[in-house]
Amino acid sequence: MTSTIGTAQTRQGLGGRLAAVARIVELGPGRVDSKVLTEAGQLLLRAGDRLKLSPDHTVVALAGGTGSGKSSLFNAVSGLELSPTGVRRPTTARTHACVWGLEGAGPLLDWLQIQWRHRFARASALDKGESGLHGLVLLDLPDHDSIRALTDTEADRLIQVADLVVWVLDPQKYADASTHRRYVTELAGHDAVTVFVLNQVDRLSPEDLAECVADLEGLLRREGIEHPVIVTTSATMGRGVGNLKAVLSDAVVRRRAAIQRLEADLDRLVRRLSEAMPAEGAPSSPAAVDDARRIGLTDALCDAVGVPAVGEAMENVYGVRSIEWVGWPYARWIAKLRPDPLDSLRLGDLRDEIRGLSGGAVSAQPAEVDNAVQALSDGLTTGMHEAWRNAVRDAARSRSAQLPKVLSEELTEIAPRLDRVPAWWRVLLAWQYTLVLLFVAGLAWAGTALAYGVFEAGEIPEGLAFFGDAAALPWVVLMLLSVLGLGLLTAVASRNLVVLGAAGERERLEREMRRRVAALAESMVIEPVERELARYNEFYAALRTVRG
Amino acid sequence: MKSAADRPVHPAEGGRRFDAVRPEGPEGAFPDHAETLGEQTLTFQAIRAGEDGEDDASPGAAATETAGAPSADPAAGDGEAAEAAPAGERSAATAPADGHSGGERSDGAGVPNGRPEDEDPGEAASGHADGSADANGPDISNDSKGPDGPDFPDDPDDADGSDVPGDADGADDDPDGGDDPDVPDGSADTDGDPDGGDDPDVPDGSADTDGDPDGGDDPDVPDGSADTDGDAVVVVADEDGSEEESGAAPEKRVQEKPLPDEVSEALTEALAALRGSVTDLVFGLDLPGVEEARKARAEILAQLDDYVIPRIHMSTAPALIVVAGSTGAGKSTLLNTLANANVSPTGVRRPTTGTPVLACHPDDREWFAEGGPLGSLERREAAEPGTAPDGLVLVSTERLPPGVALLDTPDIDSVVEAHHEIAHRMLDAADLWIFVTTAARYADAPAWRLLRLAKERGARLAIVLSRVPARSREVVTKHFVRMLTEYGLGQVDRFVINESTAADGMLPDHEVTELRLWLTELSVDDRRRAQAVQATLAGVLDSFRARVPALARQLEVQLALRADLRGDVDAAYGGAMAEIDEATRNGSLLRGEVLARWQDFIGSGDLMRTLHLRKPGRFAGKASRQGPERLSALKTALRAGLEAVVVSAAQRAAEETVSRWLNRPGAGEALAVAPGLGEPSDDLPRRAGRAVAAWQDHLVGLIRTEGVTKRSVARVVSFDAESLALILTIGMFGYGTAEIEVAGKSALPQRLLHALLGAESLRSISAKARSDLRTRIGTLFDDEVWRYVQVLDGAGIPDEAAATRLYQAMYNLEVAR
Repeated sequence: MTSTIGTAQTRQGLGGRLAAVARIVELGPGRVDSKVLTEAGQLLLRAGDRLKLSPDHTVVALAGGTGSGKSSLFNAVSGLELSPTGVRRPTTARTHACVWGLEGAGPLLDWLQIQWRHRFARASALDKGESGLHGLVLLDLPDHDSIRALTDTEADRLIQVADLVVWVLDPQKYADASTHRRYVTELAGHDAVTVFVLNQVDRLSPEDLAECVADLEGLLRREGIEHPVIVTTSATMGRGVGNLKAVLSDAVVRRRAAIQRLEADLDRLVRRLSEAMPAEGAPSSPAAVDDARRIGLTDALCDAVGVPAVGEAMENVYGVRSIEWVGWPYARWIAKLRPDPLDSLRLGDLRDEIRGLSGGAVSAQPAEVDNAVQALSDGLTTGMHEAWRNAVRDAARSRSAQLPKVLSEELTEIAPRLDRVPAWWRVLLAWQYTLVLLFVAGLAWAGTALAYGVFEAGEIPEGLAFFGDAAALPWVVLMLLSVLGLGLLTAVASRNLVVLGAAGERERLEREMRRRVAALAESMVIEPVERELARYNEFYAALRTVRG
Repeated sequence: MKSAADRPVHPAEGGRRFDAVRPEGPEGAFPDHAETLGEQTLTFQAIRAGEDGEDDASPGAAATETAGAPSADPAAGDGEAAEAAPAGERSAATAPADGHSGGERSDGAGVPNGRPEDEDPGEAASGHADGSADANGPDISNDSKGPDGPDFPDDPDDADGSDVPGDADGADDDPDGGDDPDVPDGSADTDGDPDGGDDPDVPDGSADTDGDPDGGDDPDVPDGSADTDGDAVVVVADEDGSEEESGAAPEKRVQEKPLPDEVSEALTEALAALRGSVTDLVFGLDLPGVEEARKARAEILAQLDDYVIPRIHMSTAPALIVVAGSTGAGKSTLLNTLANANVSPTGVRRPTTGTPVLACHPDDREWFAEGGPLGSLERREAAEPGTAPDGLVLVSTERLPPGVALLDTPDIDSVVEAHHEIAHRMLDAADLWIFVTTAARYADAPAWRLLRLAKERGARLAIVLSRVPARSREVVTKHFVRMLTEYGLGQVDRFVINESTAADGMLPDHEVTELRLWLTELSVDDRRRAQAVQATLAGVLDSFRARVPALARQLEVQLALRADLRGDVDAAYGGAMAEIDEATRNGSLLRGEVLARWQDFIGSGDLMRTLHLRKPGRFAGKASRQGPERLSALKTALRAGLEAVVVSAAQRAAEETVSRWLNRPGAGEALAVAPGLGEPSDDLPRRAGRAVAAWQDHLVGLIRTEGVTKRSVARVVSFDAESLALILTIGMFGYGTAEIEVAGKSALPQRLLHALLGAESLRSISAKARSDLRTRIGTLFDDEVWRYVQVLDGAGIPDEAAATRLYQAMYNLEVAR
């Protein structure tokens, strides 16, 4: 019972890891080496198939070089001459299978692509005392190292899918590169589902055998197999076959080999993934771009648009232009008397052009927008794997081609027109001109008073008698001065008002522009980046899950 | 040739016999295919049929020896022929040495040559075959090892042998032959050998051998030799043979001259040139195939040093026979047995041998001890476990015949990959190869890779099938031979060694008798040895014809790729430059802050203030100094904008370079991952800022020095150079072009500048300013490009002329040959 429960748990754990692999396969393209992903996809398929098929059977493959005695061992274990043995090399060209306990094994054998005529079953009735092997599917593979195997990948295929691989070695070939480099080293970590059989030990003296086994064990350990299971047999003499059976029966009874094999494969995949994309040192990226970076991006984009400059320009130009309206008219008139260099250059129309400068357009510098986006992704991806750095950068840039244009359009809507004239400017202008009129009128009064009152220039016309009173003169002069002073004061005050108002407006403008820039940055840069970051996080979460 | 050999024809009878024989022979059915049959069946022993009848008639020597009486029976002369085929093969395998020796001798005798048969190689062959054939004939009935009278027991086997399989049996018989007390294996094949050594019989031997050579010898062997062989066969009177032999020997020596001096000198020079140009090769870029090329280069160099050059200098030096094969095949055991001393450690550990062991006759020791082949390997007295395997253990033993040295190599297929390289290096230095495989391994892929290599190199090869269980000997041997035949190696000398327990690292001596005889033949027969040596040398030199140009091609590919990669960089940065040119022309720079600052600058009246009337008075000089902060803000904005354009273009260029490199197969990818290549260098923004600032200053200077104001203007207006420089910049960058509509479509800056500076001066200043900007940015980009060039150079700078030199060296070598 306990073993069943254990199996169920293991299955669940395995299922979780496989789901994570599926996630990786989904998220990985473009970020992870496609070879590894292909491998992962194949493993998923294989795992799915194997888990669907009979869990009660354990597929054990006898693999090895030609002439090591796979077929002899196969026959010795099965107790029947099922697979032809011979001295010609290579002997076995097609895989033979022998099943202990046939029910449910059919689909499994189909999946393994074992030809019908090479399938054999041990009726369990025959196997008195061998009930331990019930559920064993023993495969006698072709060799993997002869010239025939160069064009035939059957052995290779089955070694990759068998639940338990029994490497049949012999004293002559146990250290062949074709076995070790291509399989044993590659499958290091599959300790639990790999058994090494040193066959043909009848050819060795006991001392030699001991040396040979020690050498083999050392070799295997050097290749990363921590606890190699080595069984020595002599298939032809029948020595050691019992031990092998015991090892097999152990695996068959526990019914865990299939799971263990898949787990080992997963571990191997994890190693490959980790090589391709080391999980250690991968910074766990926050799912959202933090505020500091958002502000940094907005600032940079604002610079690209020139938000502060636009504001300042507005403020300055208002200040200058307001003089035309709210300034002290006398000062303006005096300034106009000054000779203009443009006139001497006969470029008088340029002045109008400058005056006609209406502003109203804001645009973004594409290069600076690029650099701003680049800086954001660089900052976010520090320490990330190259592939993810590029992915994040591409996400950030996904819409940066349109960004300058969109920014320009969006901000132009609220761009200040430099030639705008507020109503109160006109009122003030009227007031100033009123004052000028008053001044002129006062002058006239004063002139009249002077002429008739003081110098007695003649009979004062009847209608002007009131104005001719010299006694009023001081008051008139006082009024004239007041009018001038009032004009000056108004000009100064309104100028200050303009500056104050412009400063306030600049602030509002800048705030509004910033707000819009930030909104655009959010939708066109930050969002894609965050999606990619989420993908990144999910990928590494899946990777950690696969690692178990 | 072989076919001829196979068909037994009595030497004496020549063609006629041949014909006659065919029908008679049991194999008559497939006379044409005699070859193949023969090949398939291996009899390692050359079995002399003792066709009595024929013996008498023909050189009968063979027959006689064979005691062929029994054998003779069946075929009488004719039958023999049929069987001869197999025999021939066997002989080829087993007793090649004999054959050779015999052949040579006969040559010496020269008698044979005279024969008409000689003319047709085929006939000659047939003639030889006759000898062998005779032997064979007997085979059918008996195995015929002629000499082994005792072989008769074998006869049963032989009988089998009559059939193809029978031949195999014959091979088995060999051991039997060995058993015979008389001649060591001497079996028929051996017969020749022993004869050669000992008796006047030799001729017989030769006859047999003749058969062998025909069968076994490579077609390479000059026809002459073949003919001679045939002749020899013809001649084959035992006694005669002996006499001839004696006479012949000296002649052969004479024939075997070293190369003429001038040829040798030319060849030496050509080889030195080739070596030099191969040494110079650098394959820096990791292209597909570069590993192979590097390996090939190392191999060619090693082979030149280890083998070709010493061999050319001393063409008569002892032949180096390299024993190679799979781990556990028994190479060391074989060497120990042949040397009759435990010179190379054996054991059950795989792989066993790490350090090559060279065993030679004491007379030859000097040649091998000082330079000679493999001169670069340190010579050692004994294998020391744990030391690096880059040495060579040198031992001498009287048991080995002079003139041949055996070299035991590490394996070709164990987990220790370093061994494979050593083994291949040894093979590259070999005059002859002995390839050892076993009954368990003969179908292994690495073994056949090695055989293919031997074939490609045209190396003289002998194959030892070792550790053959006695009971499966026939099947295994037959199968192996068929595989060899299918592979086109059916005629190679073959030996079979039974599985037996080695004592003290040695096999029972009788197991290797044939091999020993083969060696002895080589030792004794200088001409034959020289032939083998020359054939291998020619094969190696021939192989250079393909291998050296392959290097040159790889080099050319490298050069082309390097140029491509360099081109990628230039294209990317050229594109960036063009982008900047465009941006500084079409007004796209005049956006954002620059635009706002400009509007500020002109809108606030600062622009007007930069101009002032040249009029003495209070106003002059006062107004101009207003608002420098706006001026500098514009200047800064321009600088920042230009810098951003440069940095962004550089960023894109870097990315494009890397992506272009990534699209180049192999090498590009490897190089592109160098850190930091995908982005501009860290200090680029800083340097770009500096460069732009310097350009702005330069522009001010230009206006000061060259801005010759129109005289009419200069009288009334003066201007501030700094501001004017900014106005010029704005104008240059395309103010007023379609894209920017600030103040209508006006060209305000241009008009102002035009009015102030005059058209001529404005044009010249603009042109200078623009080219100066390009130069400065170009300098920046040069530094960027330099990073890529360094990475490229880091991969090694190939010599462009090296490929040409290689071809030239190859051509010279061909001429010299």
